[in-house]
Amino acid sequence: MALKIYDKLKHSIRYWLLRTLPTCQQTVEKISQSMERSLSLRERINLKLHLWICAWCQWYVEHLQIIRETARAKADEPPDLTSGPNLSNEARERIRRYLTNQN
Amino acid sequence: MNAPQGKFPDESPDPGRWLDDHGDYLFKYAVFRLRDNTAAEDAVQETFLAALKAYKEFQGRASERTWLVGILKHKIVDHFRRTMREAPLGEESDEGPEHREFFERPEPWQGHWNNNYAPNEWHATPAELIERNDFWKVYNDCLSPLPQRTASVFTMREVDGLKSEEICEILSIKVNNLWVMLHRARLHLRNCLEVNWFRREQ
Repeated sequence: MALKIYDKLKHSIRYWLLRTLPTCQQTVEKISQSMERSLSLRERINLKLHLWICAWCQWYVEHLQIIRETARAKADEPPDLTSGPNLSNEARERIRRYLTNQN
Repeated sequence: MNAPQGKFPDESPDPGRWLDDHGDYLFKYAVFRLRDNTAAEDAVQETFLAALKAYKEFQGRASERTWLVGILKHKIVDHFRRTMREAPLGEESDEGPEHREFFERPEPWQGHWNNNYAPNEWHATPAELIERNDFWKVYNDCLSPLPQRTASVFTMREVDGLKSEEICEILSIKVNNLWVMLHRARLHLRNCLEVNWFRREQ
């Protein structure tokens, strides 16, 4: 019985928060901005509360972090010379001729 | 013959050897950021040209490759600057797709994630992803539909880690424009990677 009331209460709070807080569409824009500047106290509270009740936006935060970390890790790696396109022979010859003429 | 042996500070530069030793490396470095073979070839050519002119200042202070990559970074930024100038953010500015459909829902939940586009768990770590060449192919294809300048600012920020203020200064844009472009790039790329990579891998 007590459990049922607790569940109902939780559900109502969640519902009320979702109706009161900024939407997911507004929240994902804030999430992106939080990677660029420090949010105001009010923005931070709204974001925390939204993330508390919204698993989707929680994943969104995590995915943007994964994308950032992955892109930066890739940038720090020396390029893989064994796969993917190399400088084509035409381009190589063109550059060689160009530089010889400059020299 | 009494040709001098070894490295001398006044040794004349050898662009042919630079091309053989570093051409592919520089090209790959550039193509990852510019996502355009021709632009990357041009950047490599300009790098060698600048290196020829600046050779006297080099004098073996860093490794040859580090020195050339340093020049290439500037050439890549020059290219980004040009793409911004050629398509300035005007009145009908196109910063990238808004993807309103991601948040289409019947009232009272309009503005919340539509089930078809809502994020789901990703099972992968950055360490695993950087090894997967097919992942980078998808990444590349996902950035391609974005306006060039939106993809450029995304690369400057998320690949090379430049700060917001630095990017605004380099490209002479307002910080609000930058934030909108970064947001749209992230929104688009996240969804595209989920659909075309993470859902298929699981």
